[in-house]
Amino acid sequence: MATEVSDASAETEGQSRMASVWETFEENRFSYLLIMPTLVFLVLLMWIPFLRGVWMTLYEWPFGGSPTWIGLENYASLLEWKPFYTAFKATLWFSLTTAFQLLVALVAALSVREISRFTKAITGIFLLAYTVPPLVTGTIWAYLLAPDLGPFFTLLTEWGVLSETIYWGTNGSASMAVITFVTTWTFWPFMFLILSASLQNIDEELYESAQIYGANRLQTFWNVTLPHMKSAILVAVSIRLIWNLTKVSQVLQLTNGGPGYDTSVLAVLLYRFAYGRGQMGVAYTVGLVLFVVTIGFVFVFIREFEKASEEATA
Amino acid sequence: MSGNTSNTAPSSDSTDDPVRNRQRDSAGADESHVRVEQIRKTFNDGSVVACEDVNIDIDEGEFVVLVGPSGCGKTTTLRCIAGLEQPDDGRIVVDGDDVTDAKPKDRNLAFVFQSIALFPHMTVRRNIRFGLDMNTDLPDEEKDRRVEDVAETLGIDGMLDRKPKALSGGQQQRVSLGRAMVMEPDAFLLDEPFSALDANLRDQMRVEVKQIQRELNKPMVFVTHDQEEAMTLGDKIVVMDDGNVQQIGTPHEIYNDPTNLFVADFIGSPSPNLLDCTVVEDGGELRLRNAAFEVSVTDEQAAVLRERVGDRVVLGVRPEYLALNDAETNGAFTANVDVVEPLGDRDAVHLSADGQSLSAVTPQGRVGRRTDEVAVEMEIERAWLFETDGTRLV
Amino acid sequence: MSTGSSLGLGDVEIGDVWTRFMTYVVLTFLVMVNLVPFLFIISVSFTPPEAFFGDPSLVPANPTLEAWTKGFADLRDNLVNSAIIATGTAVISMAITIPGAYAFARKRFYGKKVGFYAIIVAMMFPYILLVIPVMDIWNSTGLYNTIPGMWIAYQIFVTPFAIWILRDFFQKLPQDLEEAAQVYGCTQFSAFVRVILPLAAPGIVAVGFLAFLTGWNDFLFSNLLTTGVGPVPAVPVLYGTIGGGSGERVYWGKLMAETLIIGAPPTVLYLFARNYLENAFAVK
Repeated sequence: MATEVSDASAETEGQSRMASVWETFEENRFSYLLIMPTLVFLVLLMWIPFLRGVWMTLYEWPFGGSPTWIGLENYASLLEWKPFYTAFKATLWFSLTTAFQLLVALVAALSVREISRFTKAITGIFLLAYTVPPLVTGTIWAYLLAPDLGPFFTLLTEWGVLSETIYWGTNGSASMAVITFVTTWTFWPFMFLILSASLQNIDEELYESAQIYGANRLQTFWNVTLPHMKSAILVAVSIRLIWNLTKVSQVLQLTNGGPGYDTSVLAVLLYRFAYGRGQMGVAYTVGLVLFVVTIGFVFVFIREFEKASEEATA
Repeated sequence: MSGNTSNTAPSSDSTDDPVRNRQRDSAGADESHVRVEQIRKTFNDGSVVACEDVNIDIDEGEFVVLVGPSGCGKTTTLRCIAGLEQPDDGRIVVDGDDVTDAKPKDRNLAFVFQSIALFPHMTVRRNIRFGLDMNTDLPDEEKDRRVEDVAETLGIDGMLDRKPKALSGGQQQRVSLGRAMVMEPDAFLLDEPFSALDANLRDQMRVEVKQIQRELNKPMVFVTHDQEEAMTLGDKIVVMDDGNVQQIGTPHEIYNDPTNLFVADFIGSPSPNLLDCTVVEDGGELRLRNAAFEVSVTDEQAAVLRERVGDRVVLGVRPEYLALNDAETNGAFTANVDVVEPLGDRDAVHLSADGQSLSAVTPQGRVGRRTDEVAVEMEIERAWLFETDGTRLV
Repeated sequence: MSTGSSLGLGDVEIGDVWTRFMTYVVLTFLVMVNLVPFLFIISVSFTPPEAFFGDPSLVPANPTLEAWTKGFADLRDNLVNSAIIATGTAVISMAITIPGAYAFARKRFYGKKVGFYAIIVAMMFPYILLVIPVMDIWNSTGLYNTIPGMWIAYQIFVTPFAIWILRDFFQKLPQDLEEAAQVYGCTQFSAFVRVILPLAAPGIVAVGFLAFLTGWNDFLFSNLLTTGVGPVPAVPVLYGTIGGGSGERVYWGKLMAETLIIGAPPTVLYLFARNYLENAFAVK
């Protein structure tokens, strides 16, 4: 460190100016060095595979085999294929789970805020479902909701609520209801985490001043709580919406996409093409449709995210 | 670090201890000072100019205060000296060495942050020792001795094994000062160190810092936005505004003889009266006319105003140079009393005359609470005259 | 006016009691809905196979450990695989994202904003798309059916999320800390290591936990990137038992014991990490 300084002082003006440019570069270089691993991973693991996938849709591409160029045929045959529309409709219905998750999470977060004791235990129990693998909770529900021996229908028929058990697996709407319920049950705690973190950040003084100026609970909720949580809600909804649509494990184990294609949401359809038939090109074509469907929410997410971070720094 | 500083002190041997080395150098060179030459710093690719043409000389043992409103470039200047910012242009010279391109750690300058910036996970002792641990090879006993000496000077010797969180704001700032002092640096740089403290504590810390600086006899550069703090602390005050140095001088020079309207307005509390006037000639005598009053000027002022008859100028006069008399007595003009604000031994009296606001400072109780109107007499020989663009005329 | 306001006050008080009551009702309901399934499963896992067709009850008549011992025996190797995969995922993700998140939180540099959003947007990517090319690329590069292959693949899920959470942690640390360290003798790098890293430990724990969770819990990649001869983790085995539909009758007790065995490690870890997680999710 001794030589560095005295060298600079011994040299001419021009050279020290060069050194100063070098120094700023050095300073930035440290930052670039820090973000390098992240960026490299991002490019290698997301963008290159993504683009390669797009390229794959132009081929008939069996897993592990040799691809054949077929142009846009994958797209054409998908659009002509009836079950594709069934799957598309299923996806739209299934996305309602996000709304249910939001509702449950919001009610839970607001309720936990109201109480002062047991909050730790209660949030712990809420998060239990989110901590264990979704496949585990899916297995649990597959048992609980099993029409013949599962306790849910056994108890309901025993108590006389139902005259006989429901074989939901053979009914499209009932299957859809089951997977929507289980997905909601599994993933609402994630929204709960984001929403209650945002609730905790609301300044207590805002509530006090609302109280002093005579706002009732509902007015306080509309004028203080909700506007404050708006960004958190939109961020949580857009993340969850996309993530819900990309989860396959529970649908596969509960209905395996059936009956027929009635619960084959696009992600499951993709999985069935890739894993069941090894048709990688078609599978990715389905994926691209999913991508296009979700991309709008990406912009909502970015906008809200940016707004939230601007407010935080202001 | 000082191994080849051939232009200052000849240092025959070079140990690995920059702190000690420095001291020997400065003793030999007898002018340990910091020089800021033509510093210019911009942000956002040049679109924001933080400071420009900044030249400051800081002598051995001198207490220099950079003062100005927020955004005036004072903190940027200080950070350039410390090496936390790299100036676009100009040089920083410490003790004869050009350190413009040196890393902060290689400058042997200590910096005290506005946010205090103690390391929350370390004890007070480790916080104070931090610089010694990082930058020197002193034996442990020597480090401990220095830490304890400094802690005793600052009155925090009982708290060395606590975490910063367990300390009050004032104590934390003392630790932050201690962290600087153990380094025995060539100069201390302090960035609004007391702005987070309450008023009483701030006064007390000011006195302590000034005492410490006198004892150590090291240059200290202190940044503040509080002109009162600047006046009480500085041997030399650098007033900055809008990225430029407006005036450099002793507190008295700055107070009595501001170089422009900005300095006049910024320094002193309550602020001086700055009154728009027109220069008029009345029977060969030059006078300044305003909606509320008309005054004759001194000969010295007249000499400057002679060729400006008919022009507008700004007359500046400190509140203490307005004498208030009972309404009946012979005064220059009458004014209404709006508010009397007791300052302690003196009162600030806020007046209005023909739509103009004025303020005056009088001895305690001079103007009664019920007084509506007073006669105002101005000590014109203590007034300044400025062009309307702010340049000082006389 | 005055009567109106006092009436209003009365309303608020009744409203308060009502809200309080409803709060407890709602919370009790949610707790039950979340807890009862697990209680049932625990009970079932101790129920002997022949007792399945009777009435469901929370306390089994002749409890047996058979399901647990069988479950453990079947899953042992896969649990080891899961642990290796999840731990490696966590370690690698921290090595990648801690420096990046730090730079995005506390450094000024050209291109910062674009870079940050490029990463955050990746969080919104429908990951399942990537399964197709990743399967194909892994297959042709020899990563298919290997543990390092899993470690790398899981970074797709973890990286953006980790950057999001960690950046927030770094941003919340007091300002000027690195600069103070630099003035007193640190380089940029040593200031980061000595001052920032110890202070960010809670965030690092939170991210490590979430990365572990991803590696442990995931079904999609673990099922698609491994085959029976390779390092199959526990989750796809469980799927095979129920979804495979091999024709033989499902022994629900064993299956439920397996769900508990697989679910236990993340739950235990969660109990350790929960204090660190509390603030990790604030949208800022």
